[in-house]
Amino acid sequence: MVGAFMLRPLFILLALAALPAAAETKVVRMTAERFSFFPSQIRVKAGTVVEFHIHSEDTNHGFRIPAAGIDQVIPKRGKGELKVIYHAERPGRYEFECSKPCGAGHTIMRGMLIVE
Amino acid sequence: MKKTLIGGLVVFWAATALAQTAPDPQTRRIEQLENRVRQLEQQIEKLLAGPRVAAPPEPAPAPAAQPPPAPESVESRLPLSGYMDFHFNKPRGEPAQLDFHRFVLLFGHSFSDRIKFWSELELEHGLVEGREEKGELELEQAYLDFLVKPYLNFRGGMILAPVGLINERHEPPSFYGVERPFVDSVILPSTWFDTGVGVFGDLGRGFRYKAYVMSPLDAAEFNAEEGLRGGRQKGFQSSFQNVAQTARLEYHGLPRLAWGASFWRGNTGFNLRGVNPRVRVVETDGRYRVSRFDFRAQFAQVDISKAGELNLALEREGGISPNVAERMRGFYIEPAARLLPRRWRQDLAVFFRYESFDTQNKMPRGFLPLRQFDRSAWVVGATYYPEPDVALKWDYSFLRNASSLVRAANSLNFGIGWWF
Repeated sequence: MVGAFMLRPLFILLALAALPAAAETKVVRMTAERFSFFPSQIRVKAGTVVEFHIHSEDTNHGFRIPAAGIDQVIPKRGKGELKVIYHAERPGRYEFECSKPCGAGHTIMRGMLIVE
Repeated sequence: MKKTLIGGLVVFWAATALAQTAPDPQTRRIEQLENRVRQLEQQIEKLLAGPRVAAPPEPAPAPAAQPPPAPESVESRLPLSGYMDFHFNKPRGEPAQLDFHRFVLLFGHSFSDRIKFWSELELEHGLVEGREEKGELELEQAYLDFLVKPYLNFRGGMILAPVGLINERHEPPSFYGVERPFVDSVILPSTWFDTGVGVFGDLGRGFRYKAYVMSPLDAAEFNAEEGLRGGRQKGFQSSFQNVAQTARLEYHGLPRLAWGASFWRGNTGFNLRGVNPRVRVVETDGRYRVSRFDFRAQFAQVDISKAGELNLALEREGGISPNVAERMRGFYIEPAARLLPRRWRQDLAVFFRYESFDTQNKMPRGFLPLRQFDRSAWVVGATYYPEPDVALKWDYSFLRNASSLVRAANSLNFGIGWWF
């Protein structure tokens, strides 16, 4: 009986050890609107899995991270959101930008992902 | 004991099974490849580093997982965008007008991730006919951006003056009312564009800036009713003597709030003999959204030095004094409410705007103000969005002025504006 009581935590520890080390996930909710992203600067730790949820307050916008080959369209207001999962493995500063022409100030619609 | 052993094994098996079955085959494959890449990187680093120095890893993270490309229609990926603006105006006591006010095409091209081109070509009022009072074909923007750092980038070409709420944000679905606010027409002469070069960037913590030198305004075309508006050179062989300086600082650091402040200053007398008025424009504006309510406000002031000498010089040349003021001032506040539930694709907004705009706010010594140009307006209206890029607009403008002789005409307006 005592042996069983002592072995139980051991098995639980073994079970936990068998699970893979899960990477930290950070959910980032962003708003895109002529001509800015909010937030436009995002900080995460290296190794984080960043889950972007981006919705627009007006027209279609693009969400492009050139260094990662990501280029997706953010739906118009009221037509859902864009979800992008990005594994930020290494430290650095990664610019993102609107890649879909959205108006006179389209070219300044940019932001920065900082991986520390 | 036996039960515990079996229970423990079940938990262990379940956890192992969970670890093995949770990721789908594609994810497992990606993980295997990532591990293999890591091993190869380590081997390469060892080979390159030699006995003492380790090569710094290159910051080039790869996406762990991306959603499959969104099903895009061909149209939505065309490198061409634009907007149109079609109006019906009925000022009281005057005939009604139908006007295809703006037909605008925007083109862009990326030479690389660091060098980009952007342009905006606009046909106003549907017809261009020589130099008569018909429409205009305008190249409102055509510039190259050289992107260096987030906080320091370079721009050159035909650019928009970074002044005011509307000048750089004038797509019809993005503002309320059929016509642009009066302050953005007669105090700030939007669309205000000219040749120039400058820098812009993101300073972090929500602050962004632009700072340009641009071709100046032409004081020979200023007047009492529309202030600076006639003085825009619009890049037509613009004089580049005494270049003007302009800058804007914006703050986007809080949710749903955008605040901006701008200035423009320059000498404007290059077309005049003996007088070179200095124009200074200061402006601040803000937008705030809470729940289904929008608030916008703007204040702008123009100061013109040597306005008296300017009036005398233009009177000598043309026989009539334009009665240009030493100071012009305007502001507006605009609350709006969206009425339909957020989850709906359609939307309906109602708004009202109070504007005060006085292009004769302070006169130079020896000149009397023309009181009909000390104006205010209440604009009430609604915009129906059958979809976010199409706006069906209605408004009514109640105009007042300070004159006891000249009556301001109220106006009924309908408009259709769309962006693609």
